[in-house]
Amino acid sequence: MYLKVKLNWNVVIPARNLDLNGLMLQKAILVRLLDTFAAKKATKDLGYLVAITTLDKIGEGKVREHSGDVLFPVEFTCLSFKVFRGEVIEGVVHKILKHGIFMRCGPIEYLYLSNKKMSDYQYHSLENPCFLNEQTGSRIVKDASVRCIVIGVKYMEAQKEFQAVVGLEGDYLVYKVVGILL
Amino acid sequence: MSAAGEEEENAADLKIGDEFLKAKCLMNCEVSLILERKYDQLQQIVFEKSLQYVKRFSRYKNPDAVRQVRELLSGYQLAEFELCVLGNLCPETVEEAIAMVPSIKSRGRVHDDEAIEKMLNDMSLIKKFE
Repeated sequence: MYLKVKLNWNVVIPARNLDLNGLMLQKAILVRLLDTFAAKKATKDLGYLVAITTLDKIGEGKVREHSGDVLFPVEFTCLSFKVFRGEVIEGVVHKILKHGIFMRCGPIEYLYLSNKKMSDYQYHSLENPCFLNEQTGSRIVKDASVRCIVIGVKYMEAQKEFQAVVGLEGDYLVYKVVGILL
Repeated sequence: MSAAGEEEENAADLKIGDEFLKAKCLMNCEVSLILERKYDQLQQIVFEKSLQYVKRFSRYKNPDAVRQVRELLSGYQLAEFELCVLGNLCPETVEEAIAMVPSIKSRGRVHDDEAIEKMLNDMSLIKKFE
């Protein structure tokens, strides 16, 4: 789920950039904010930081004693992406292994669907590996969209990445895969 | 967040933490409109993947249709989170809608099957005429 979030951060402008005034200073603050935002990538609470939509307010700068850099409090609105346990989401299959499937969902690269969580489907490795439901003929292949439910979410602090375990056990899941027979 | 807190999180019952219940959620189609506009601002990986994803999973493409869906769903006493799940997945039947968002039937709100059915019909009409 994408969220619209209002945040308050501090942006530090190095002393050497301070001969700028007015508009140029604003621009320097914005550029600095965009860089900081991109570098931050994700937080445990907000999920992935996707994009800044508006810069709402630049507060009064405070000079830092030792360096002479100036710290500006800024208020801005941004988009973030996070998945929640129990949420129904759609993922795109990018890897099929015997024991399960890896999917992408927005910035999340690894949604894992274990074969234990899709008991109606069996692994087949003909020319292309796939998971097949022999009763309905529904087939999960690479690049298919799969509707699934989030069972657990993990945040890895060091890499700043989220991973999630998903399942197909529930009504109307997979649903959209039915009919995609490549 | 403590381990116990995480244990309790369950979007099916709308237990997703206060900050997110209050936070504004966006449908994929809305995100798509925003990111397309910001395209030249940021070219980082998180942004790229998000754009790719929302382009693929936007049920509504036309900006007017996107606005209409938001307006329509806003009239149904839905939590932001529920509204966006419905707008993203576009369930076709009442049963499917309840399976996707079990909480719409709970929390003592008046969502009888007829009201849900009307909502889904109106959603598919917007899609048809976009």
